[in-house]
Amino acid sequence: MEKYLRAGSSFARRQYAPHLFITLLFCVMSVFFVSFRNLDDFQAAKVMEMYVSFAGILLMTPLFFPEQNPEIWLLKKSKATPLWHLYLIRLLMAVFFLAVIVTGFTQMMRQGDSQFDMRNLWIGSFCEMFFLGSIGFFVSGITNQAVLGYMVSVLYFVANIGAAKYLGKFALFQMAKGQYDFMVPMTAAALLLVTGGIVLRERISA
Amino acid sequence: MFGTLFLKECKQVLRSMVYYIYVVAFVMFLSSQLGGELTDKMEKPVPGQGSYGTIVSHEESVVMGNIMANLVGETENNSYATYPLGFYKRVTLNEEELSQVKEIIENCTGKKWEEIIGEMEEHFSGYDQGTVEGAIQAQMEYRADVKDTLKYEDFCSSMEKVCQLIGAGSSYSSKKLEAGVGAPMSYEQALEEYEVFCREDKVTGATARLFCDYAGIVLSVLPIFLGVTRCLRDRRAQAEQVIFAREASVFQIVGSRYLANVCMAFLPVVFTAFVMQLPYQFHAETLGVAADALAFLKYSFVWLLPEIMAVLAVSFFITELTGGVISIFVQVFWAFASLFSAVGLQGDFALKLIARWNALGNTREFLRQRQELFLNRGFYFGLSVLLLILTFAIYEKKRREGGSIYGKIFKGRK
Repeated sequence: MEKYLRAGSSFARRQYAPHLFITLLFCVMSVFFVSFRNLDDFQAAKVMEMYVSFAGILLMTPLFFPEQNPEIWLLKKSKATPLWHLYLIRLLMAVFFLAVIVTGFTQMMRQGDSQFDMRNLWIGSFCEMFFLGSIGFFVSGITNQAVLGYMVSVLYFVANIGAAKYLGKFALFQMAKGQYDFMVPMTAAALLLVTGGIVLRERISA
Repeated sequence: MFGTLFLKECKQVLRSMVYYIYVVAFVMFLSSQLGGELTDKMEKPVPGQGSYGTIVSHEESVVMGNIMANLVGETENNSYATYPLGFYKRVTLNEEELSQVKEIIENCTGKKWEEIIGEMEEHFSGYDQGTVEGAIQAQMEYRADVKDTLKYEDFCSSMEKVCQLIGAGSSYSSKKLEAGVGAPMSYEQALEEYEVFCREDKVTGATARLFCDYAGIVLSVLPIFLGVTRCLRDRRAQAEQVIFAREASVFQIVGSRYLANVCMAFLPVVFTAFVMQLPYQFHAETLGVAADALAFLKYSFVWLLPEIMAVLAVSFFITELTGGVISIFVQVFWAFASLFSAVGLQGDFALKLIARWNALGNTREFLRQRQELFLNRGFYFGLSVLLLILTFAIYEKKRREGGSIYGKIFKGRK
């Protein structure tokens, strides 16, 4: 256990810190771009979906950063701890920060006298962020290029602005339309993508 | 040397997966937005037609009626669009603030709130809200007339009070009132507009503008990834130090790199614009208009090339400076901010990265604002050159002193 904690903390300090800082900045800057006061269900959902969901990309795409360098990958591969353990620790860390962000934003809206279904909004927002992030995670994992991960996930976000109708249950911004039945398929797809990202990455790299 | 490096860089771009995603995403986006039939909107207006579109009006009574209609609609939904820092922000008022806004509306119109809402609902029920055209038509023609005795100055001061309640950057500031409002066109105005459309735009000019409008959105994001990928490639391939040691000057290395990326990013734009223009070029002939065959090229050069140059220059600059992917976050944020900060979908170019003209025609208004567009694009061209020079300086410094611009500071620490 101590070994994993050390690995997680080392990743957070050495590689993840700038990304956490950017995410923090992104959250702080929200006060200039979104309102937290007197929102109803739909308006609160819009804040979470159009703005906050981006944090999924920021937090989950760079998780393979250290091993982008083939030499570092080979070195880590030679160690006793399997690489997928390390990826999983990082993923759990990212998921933890996602949960903190969703909680923080929903609480801020609550403080601003907004009226919404807390449970639905929390779970729905978390699902969307996790799903969007898992796209970046998957693509950066299998291509070994974080830039591609960012590109595909950002394009997916953009595609949802104009072409959401073609994406079915995997379309973003559904809570703003009062629909919540996307959660199960989206979570399942996200889990598939993160698992696929880890498994395929190691197969392709090997 | 420069030519050889330029060709090598073009080949490098062609080997990158990011480039193919760039091309596919660009073409798909444009086809999805411009795939519909536009030729129906190019017909000559005939008397007795249901609607002739809109035109910008500065007439006081029209401004007051239109602004009041907007205020009534936003108040009914308790959802106000504001642009405090030039970026879109939705504001929702509490009960006390909302009742104060309703009171202002009642004072301006001389009617009770319930009566105003009743009239609004009656107006909207007269249109087919199930269709996009019906909804737009209903919105376009809705006016909440103010009382006859209300002077324009008093109306403006009432709107100032509304601004104070809603917050900075609302749609009711004096600046917004001065900009005029959209009003339905009469047959005569529509006919005049059609003649200008044929004479000045020669049909293809208007379609090229619409193409640039959509292409501008996606080009504010896509080239970022090309730039970042190129700047990080040397380090990824562990060739950075080898290239640093080469004889070629920084101008040749970074300049050829930048130029190759600009050309390769612009190539699919010109090609797509050319292909998409063809049907409208042929349609112009059926209207008896000699189409401007080079419209796609002229508009793409003036409208889109400076944008590609600016986006790539910023990504080159930030990536060379930081050695990381931070440019993606900064520029995606910038692109979305520019997109969502647009008050209208036509004009108001100012210094926005994405210049919008989401209309087929409206030629006279475009010609009026054309100078502003030139200034905007000129600014981004200048910015690109400036940032490229700064990138040269950063690259040269890294070349002389080590791998990263800030590396020495940390290296020097005990």
